[in-house]
Amino acid sequence: MAAISLNKLNKHYGSLFHAVKDVDLEIADKEFVALVGPSGCGKSTTLRMIAGLEDISSGEIRIGGKIVNHLPPRDRDVAMVFQNYALYQHMSVYDNLAFGLRNKRVAETEIRSAIDRAADILGLHELLQRKPKQLSGGQQQRVALGRCIVRNPQVFLFDEPLSNLDAKLRARMRIEIKRLHAQIPTTSVFVTHDQIEAMTLGDRVVIMRDGYVQQVGTPLTVYEKPANKFVAGFIGAPAMNFVDVTVRGDAVETSGLKISVNPAYARALQPYDGKPVVMGVRPEHLALGDGAPGSSFDARVEVVEQLGSEILLETRAGADSITVARVPAETRIAPGDRVKVSSQLSRLHFFDPNTELPISG
Amino acid sequence: MPMVTRPQFLPDLPNWSRKTFFAVALAAICFAFAFPVLWLILTSLRPESGVYYVHRGTEFTLINFKDVLAQERIVHAFINSAVISTLATVFSLLVTVSSGYMLSRFTGPASRMWFGTIYVFRCVPYISWVLPLYFVVQSWGLYDTYIGLLLPHIAVHICFFSWLMKGFFDGIDPSMEYAAMIDGCTRWGAFIRVAIPSALPAISALAVLCWLFTWNEFLFALILTGNRVPVITVVMAQFVTEMGLHWNLMAATAVMALLPAFLVALFGQKYVIQGLRI
Repeated sequence: MAAISLNKLNKHYGSLFHAVKDVDLEIADKEFVALVGPSGCGKSTTLRMIAGLEDISSGEIRIGGKIVNHLPPRDRDVAMVFQNYALYQHMSVYDNLAFGLRNKRVAETEIRSAIDRAADILGLHELLQRKPKQLSGGQQQRVALGRCIVRNPQVFLFDEPLSNLDAKLRARMRIEIKRLHAQIPTTSVFVTHDQIEAMTLGDRVVIMRDGYVQQVGTPLTVYEKPANKFVAGFIGAPAMNFVDVTVRGDAVETSGLKISVNPAYARALQPYDGKPVVMGVRPEHLALGDGAPGSSFDARVEVVEQLGSEILLETRAGADSITVARVPAETRIAPGDRVKVSSQLSRLHFFDPNTELPISG
Repeated sequence: MPMVTRPQFLPDLPNWSRKTFFAVALAAICFAFAFPVLWLILTSLRPESGVYYVHRGTEFTLINFKDVLAQERIVHAFINSAVISTLATVFSLLVTVSSGYMLSRFTGPASRMWFGTIYVFRCVPYISWVLPLYFVVQSWGLYDTYIGLLLPHIAVHICFFSWLMKGFFDGIDPSMEYAAMIDGCTRWGAFIRVAIPSALPAISALAVLCWLFTWNEFLFALILTGNRVPVITVVMAQFVTEMGLHWNLMAATAVMALLPAFLVALFGQKYVIQGLRI
């Protein structure tokens, strides 16, 4: 069993900076959890505290049921992959892989077979005698993964391991990590600022901001039922459109835009009648054309981004409502065109403008 | 893709004249550096009677080297200089490497205080250390002893080279050490097994610089040593006597003193360049 439990975890740097605030998190055995958030949100600090590389200011960390608050990193039975690979430059790939096991005084024959297994999984056989400097970024990252798996630890920790790779390689390594977790199901915590990585890799995603956990949930939950406006805007690419609207009975409106809301939302929005709320709609839930009655609005196309597989349209409705819509690639459209944009009424989101919490329908 | 062109020096000149200009400038610089050394070597090969017209004489001899090596005091001085340079290098590196590492990796009050201390000592002009050091060494009964010369050298190296070492460690990614700590090392283990091997080119460079610095040092040696621990830089200066200047012997000693420094620089050059690039 290697569940991880964080209980009221805090990290202060001096009296001025409170990096991690009351983080509570339960990670099940063999679960893959992705910590995601913008720079400075405390995700890496949280990971480093789990690894033991950072002292905790208050709270409790348990790994496999055991409190590890004061254990040094070497006694926590975790392995970590770093953003810049952190391979020992003066050692060969083989020695890099063997380093942790030699520290544990494992017999050299066992080390060899563990390295062979890891090399099989990650395709490292050709590279074993090379020095890290002679490897490409992707190869170095595979060696870093190999260094983790040879030790067979209780927990894998990943600190933005794909950030230094180019987009193509990043996508490939993402699949490799996913496959690795399927082959060797070990409790994993993956820190990233890239929500696509978090969504594709994590069994659950933890979204953080300013040291606080904003939401914990499966990728689909955080996408469909964001806990607040920040999560709604952070998850999804392109980001959710936010429009400041005023509630008028069972519709919401702003200059140049009026949309009916379905009965469930209308009930929830009743207390806000005549008041402003924030409407959120994802680009993929907008389409060109009339759609359902009351779901469309007139807009002018400002920017057309042809991506090959689809088009991203930046449209302006009224004076200041700019929305991005995702439409099929074959759509014939040009900047300046006037179009009708319809939204899927059941996929609208509404947020209280003060608390930024969702107004549930 | 736009062509990236490097700004050229003297862009208005035609290519051949720019090349000529650089060739002449380089030759002039090389000559300025090499001429005194060549003159020294020539002087060392001339008999005593020929030292004042080195450029005219045709008589060359190795007698100066023989005379110099026949003097026990000079041989001692060579041995002393070599021993002191080597010991000062070893001992100062032992402190400098860990001190540079601490300055680079730790930000606590101890590190800040150490940084401040080194900073203050670095700001003090080198020459103003000499008199206080003389009194301290004298009062501790260390005047004219190995240790009396070694300790000040080590102290100076620590102050001067800890900063350099800090810079080297700043250039080495600390996540390697974190990885080692997760892989089963203590902080010290990570320092010794990962940080030091990674900084080896820099440490080699520092070793070369330390050794040359001590070998060439004159001021401390002059003030802190007497007859019991002669070192080569001081002994060389002692050819200036009331009876006159023995240019030929001084030149022969200087050429011999140049040789170890030359060899260290020659073979250590690779590490110095590599190390200073970290």
